[in-house]
Amino acid sequence: MEKILKKNSFPQWVKKFIDYDIYAPVEDGDFWNYSLIEDPKNINLDFLTTVLSPKKIIFPQKEILLEFSTSNNGDLELKERLPEEKTKVVFGVRPCDARALTLTDKVFGGDFIDPYYQKRRDQTLLIGLTCNTPPSPHCFCTSVEGSPHSTDGLDILMTDLRDKYYVESFSGKGEQLINLGKGLFETPKAKDKKELEKIKADSEKKIKRQIKNIKKIPKILKGMFESPFWDEESLSCLRCGICTYLCPTCHCFDINDEVISSSPLEGQRVRTWDTCQFPNFTMHSSGHNPRPDRASRLRQRIFHKFQYFVEQFGDFQCIGCGRCIAKCPVGIDIIEVLEKVDKYGA
Amino acid sequence: MEHNTYLPRLAKIIQIKQEVGGARPIKTFRTQFLNENDFSFRCGQSAMLSVFGKGESMISISSTPLIKDYLQFSILKMGRVTSALHEMEENGIIGIRGPYGNGFPLDRWKEKNLIFIGGGIGLAPIWSVLQTALEKKEEYGDLMLIYGARTSKDLVFREELQELKSKMPVHLSVDVEEPGWEEFIGFVPQNVTDKKPSPKNAITITCGPPIMIKFVIKALEDLGFEDDQIYTTVENKMKCGIGKCGRCNIGKHYVCKDGPVYSWAELKKLPQEY
Repeated sequence: MEKILKKNSFPQWVKKFIDYDIYAPVEDGDFWNYSLIEDPKNINLDFLTTVLSPKKIIFPQKEILLEFSTSNNGDLELKERLPEEKTKVVFGVRPCDARALTLTDKVFGGDFIDPYYQKRRDQTLLIGLTCNTPPSPHCFCTSVEGSPHSTDGLDILMTDLRDKYYVESFSGKGEQLINLGKGLFETPKAKDKKELEKIKADSEKKIKRQIKNIKKIPKILKGMFESPFWDEESLSCLRCGICTYLCPTCHCFDINDEVISSSPLEGQRVRTWDTCQFPNFTMHSSGHNPRPDRASRLRQRIFHKFQYFVEQFGDFQCIGCGRCIAKCPVGIDIIEVLEKVDKYGA
Repeated sequence: MEHNTYLPRLAKIIQIKQEVGGARPIKTFRTQFLNENDFSFRCGQSAMLSVFGKGESMISISSTPLIKDYLQFSILKMGRVTSALHEMEENGIIGIRGPYGNGFPLDRWKEKNLIFIGGGIGLAPIWSVLQTALEKKEEYGDLMLIYGARTSKDLVFREELQELKSKMPVHLSVDVEEPGWEEFIGFVPQNVTDKKPSPKNAITITCGPPIMIKFVIKALEDLGFEDDQIYTTVENKMKCGIGKCGRCNIGKHYVCKDGPVYSWAELKKLPQEY
């Protein structure tokens, strides 16, 4: 389904979403982040890259998996805590961030479906926004099989045509949302369609950064496991883990018990984001650590994204958002690392 | 909806046996589920054990799947959860989820001679497959166990081992000489070289400390064993057990899901990062 929505009709459309929780980018000091929206008038779709991707809505930084307690008669009781939330609609999803969720879907699905992730995923609708101009100087989506107008993982894609939006739906759920705004939408004219196509074509040309020869990278990496390259590249790494915390495709987590009362026992088992960049991520209780230094951990990050994931699922585990580049305190730049890998292979 | 894999089933500890004392104590726990359940497993698989309030730890199941009454785990006291398990008493309640992992390919080993080689607590994962093969002896060739520990007091399943000697060849060892010890003195790989098991129609299953495994494999290679005749298990830190939390990987393999059992032929192809 393809429609035109005038910008001044946008709040009226969103007002019809009474059965949903609405999320959109909100400016918070120097940063943009997805937040729960009370008044549709507050939605501003003229935003830069958010600090965190909408991944946090589906896979929160911390969530309770189950609760445990001992009852009065001393019996241990477990309570499953699957998410019980309203269906969410997220506005202003960058096409790369939506693609990231199609990658985490592969991780949390498969042989063992993760019920917590899956439930939130099924109950979240993603409304994308074409990046007419790159929201970050570090954008490189076109190098990793994405584009500023990719529709992967989206229910709807909106494209800004100055005074109106071109609205395309890609799922039944997306169509239903458009149908909620009956009377507000118009049928696109040939001129609108032409403009849409021009904006989409131009948006790709505006992406400045790119990784050349990306297709060769997985094979080159395979021969680089033992290379001293990783020692050199990781020398400046502070082990802060921000590259992975901000990454829309990173999915590693920890599970721990939090005790509220020890007698009678009461507590909860929580899942929190974790990172392969921390030394104790892989450390055995014996003290043995298969990835004992910065070099092996940077190597793990690069190999996972551009070698292991490719072998497992056929995709790069990177969507080219540039967050890890923008926020690394010592300037480790994944594009530069991969360009050096490419040279190493030449 | 299918069972939430993160939700443990509650089980009662019905028996605790102190196998080894001292600074590195080992206890064997037998557990029974509180409610009816559909828990079934293969030899070499593991289960995630919960001590509520402390956390979870992945432990190999040391009993045979042929026993339906209980699950058995032999556990070395090491970190937070295993220390908490060691403090538990009989009738205490723990959580069990799983089973996880690939297990030993016993189906492919019919008619083969099976040589089990273990060191220390490494006998635990072997015990499940050894007991299964012993119970169905007619389906396999000759069975042999080569097992050792630092001292005789560090050997697990000591009574069971004495009993086992009437059923199959059992070659024990201790690392250094001690009064009254009449069997082999030296490291497990040396005992392998000494006992010279034949590679003909044989499969070896070796579990123990990484350094022991390394030299056992070398000893086996010297005896003429091929890479696909040597099986071992790999351990890594785990949280989820289902290939999602990201910490137990060796290359693209998640040890929790794709392992822990590997042939030496398979393991050789993976990055040396374990």
